[in-house]
Amino acid sequence: MVAEVSMRGITKRFPGVLADDNVDFEVEAGEIHALMGENGAGKSILMSMLAGVYQPDEGEIFIRGERRTLSSPLDAIDAGIGMVFQSFKLFPSLTIAENVVFRAEPTKRGLIDRKAASRKVAEIAERYGLSIDPDARVDSVPVGVLQRVEIVKALYREARVLILDEPTAVLTPQETERLFDVLRALRADGRTIIIITHKLGEVMAISDRVTVLRDGRNVAQLVTADSSPAEITRHMTGRDVDLTTPPPALEPGEVVLDARGVTVPGAGERDAVSNADLFVRSGEIVGIAGVAGNGQVELAEAIIGMRQVSSGTVSVSGTDLSRATIAERRDGGIAYIPEDRHAVGSAGTADAIDNLALGHHRRAPILQRGLLSRSAMLEHAQRLIKRFGVKIASPATPVGTLSGGNLQKVVVARELDYRSPLLIAEQPTRGVDIGAIEAIHRELCEYRDNGGALLLISAELSEIMSLSSRILVMFEGRIVAEVPKHEANDALLGLYMAGHEPEERHRPGAFADALAASTASTNHEKGAAL
Amino acid sequence: MSALQRVGRWLAGPIPVSIVLAFLIGACFMLIAGVDPLNGYAAMLQGSFGTGAGLANTLQRAVPIIGIGIAIAIAFRAGVLNLGTEGQAGLGALAGGIVAIYVPGPGLLVLLLALVTAVVVGAAWGLIAAVLQNLLGVPILLSTLLLNYPARYFSSWLIRFRLDESSSDLVASDQVRPEVQLSMIVPRDSGFAETLRSSLGATNPLTMVLTGVNWSLIVLILVVIATIFMNRRTRYGFESGLSGQNAEFVRYGGVKPGPLVLRTMALSGGLAGAFGLMLVIGAPNTRLIEGYFVQTNYAWTALLVTLLALYRPVGIVIAGTFFAAIMVGSDAMGRELGLSPQIAAVIQALVIILLAFRVALPRFRRTRAAADGATAPPPANPQPALSGAGVTDTAASASEKESER
Repeated sequence: MVAEVSMRGITKRFPGVLADDNVDFEVEAGEIHALMGENGAGKSILMSMLAGVYQPDEGEIFIRGERRTLSSPLDAIDAGIGMVFQSFKLFPSLTIAENVVFRAEPTKRGLIDRKAASRKVAEIAERYGLSIDPDARVDSVPVGVLQRVEIVKALYREARVLILDEPTAVLTPQETERLFDVLRALRADGRTIIIITHKLGEVMAISDRVTVLRDGRNVAQLVTADSSPAEITRHMTGRDVDLTTPPPALEPGEVVLDARGVTVPGAGERDAVSNADLFVRSGEIVGIAGVAGNGQVELAEAIIGMRQVSSGTVSVSGTDLSRATIAERRDGGIAYIPEDRHAVGSAGTADAIDNLALGHHRRAPILQRGLLSRSAMLEHAQRLIKRFGVKIASPATPVGTLSGGNLQKVVVARELDYRSPLLIAEQPTRGVDIGAIEAIHRELCEYRDNGGALLLISAELSEIMSLSSRILVMFEGRIVAEVPKHEANDALLGLYMAGHEPEERHRPGAFADALAASTASTNHEKGAAL
Repeated sequence: MSALQRVGRWLAGPIPVSIVLAFLIGACFMLIAGVDPLNGYAAMLQGSFGTGAGLANTLQRAVPIIGIGIAIAIAFRAGVLNLGTEGQAGLGALAGGIVAIYVPGPGLLVLLLALVTAVVVGAAWGLIAAVLQNLLGVPILLSTLLLNYPARYFSSWLIRFRLDESSSDLVASDQVRPEVQLSMIVPRDSGFAETLRSSLGATNPLTMVLTGVNWSLIVLILVVIATIFMNRRTRYGFESGLSGQNAEFVRYGGVKPGPLVLRTMALSGGLAGAFGLMLVIGAPNTRLIEGYFVQTNYAWTALLVTLLALYRPVGIVIAGTFFAAIMVGSDAMGRELGLSPQIAAVIQALVIILLAFRVALPRFRRTRAAADGATAPPPANPQPALSGAGVTDTAASASEKESER
């Protein structure tokens, strides 16, 4: 039987980087094939070559046994290959149907036949259970729908091979399930699916076979049913990895972060964050779950002072910081690992010495008698690089050259070294390979066990659930639910993330009330004892 | 890597190659103009570095270029694109010059007062742009550039209609009193100058430099050293340097952007004002002349020098001296060989253009490559398979953009 897609001896170089090194990659017709690998393993680049975005330096591509040169995305469409990229490419102000038929419009007497377009789009959607309204404007529908639009767009162009790049990154667990149903329906229809991902659970759930890339090489081709998550991880990293995290060593102590009624104005009419109450105690990790864009970033930025609030108070260790500057909040005990390590968390063209020194340069030992000590800055950098195992040529190397995981270690190292009572960690392991995830999780647990209060914001439910002792769920700028660790599971959190009414005991604040009541009663008992 | 290898590598690098290339093309132009290129370049070298007088001339010409270059570098390094040094220097010179010419009193005191006035006025002119950006969001790039025009024409008007003394054809003010003027580093009529002339010889380069270049050179050396120190060892220098590379990062680290911009513009404008003043109160130029700053183009040459040197003080000193030498040398070549000044200007322009291309372009590409990606050169924005140009990203990235602000 001829393979649907066969890439042979593919090599792709970029200045200074060998992205793919003599990779063979084969996909059978009618299978769901997972392409796995750590960041920078060359998965996306390999698939971009199949989609005609890049051309290989060496190697050949065969589609159904026929050799093809895919020198543009149009060639790839012609060969029956469609790719859904991570960031969707749609016209926000056009309808879904208009987006789908763009540049392949059905016509009637030389004019665009809108009715036919709308009908055809509806037909395709119906057939595979993709519920979309062809006449809705793209800017009015949620992210999950946009992804379906992209899939319909590929199917409308009669793609027989559908490539999806990290499709579940923007979805709730329920939406992910629905996407997988669609993918199974497509497979049943004889189409071939390639899914790029780094989530093991999903690979096990959906794929027939798995190809693992490491450092630009194909290191394993496995039948999913005969494999295990541990085996795949071993192929991805080249070693055994333990992602379980230790439970907290201490009972939670005093309240460190106390935020009340925090409201942040949004771009539109709705507030980005409305009336959020939360507290984090020393020695505990509180997670905030939510689909990206539901106010988590704005809440974190409001706490650190990078974003104006319209009302609300923030205090740390009893000190009111509601009107304080960013510097005062940092001095007052807040450290912050931002979501975007490139745009906010580092200066890529600056070296590690400077990147690690920022903030620390306001105090001893780097600031001595009002001047910066270059030797102290260098020592500071060397110490953190060593302690956090950052792989970097020298402290004087610009950090923009580092891989995602190593750059993140630089950011985490700098922020943890404040030894502040509160740390806000936003997507601390996003886009980071599994070895670095392990290291960063270990550091975060150690911070907690040394009495730190950690507010963890992450889109990875598995990360939230393994690290946090309490989980807050944000939806449309509000904290809608609070779930203790032992009651949390994907399905429940997914419901709350999609805006479902919480059960009474998961109502936000229920825990705080219970806590206050128990403290009051202990105080009362104490009072009585006296 | 041995020192020899390093020198070899540098020689094969963009700067020497583009200089050689520029001189080769320049030679073609000389041939067209009927001059032997070898003679031409010999005259150029002789005129700029070969003689004591030439060297003194080159250094004196380099002082404003380097000084204003440092002023620009302080701003650009902080990511504050100050294109207004012409106006800041011009107004500094005007205000300081008026003090130097009309305020009576002991020479040194008036000189100091004039210098302070120039710094204050230059800084104030720069601060207008900073305040406009902080309060109203007017980009500094635009406001500084546009503020050059009122500065230019106000100076012209003031000199032509209020300060002009009628004794000469030049539209210019009275001379600065000799005791207020910046003297030569070693005054020509001093005993030490006599000693130098008798021991080293009257045309010895050192004698000529010490007796032919005024005190602004010493001020410049101090400013360069102070700037290097500031960049490396002070909080302001550290914060502004990082801010130029990623302003949001520095804000996140707890540095307020507004005051940083104010300080930067005050420093940059103040320095420009000081070097502007020193151009008009010491030989070879001791009066306020209409249009002087526009014609000499020092501010723009300084901008180019600064960009080539990537805002590094030592680089600015080297590049500034080189540019001054080319100017002085091509003047000399024109005089010696009867070459029209236009051909000399062509050669100057060629060197500048080729340097800019050869130095700036590869660097630009490298920075872009670095900015584009960490490990894998990512398909930063892969053109999607199924849609056309001009497609906007949707929700996911829109929220990212939101958070960037």
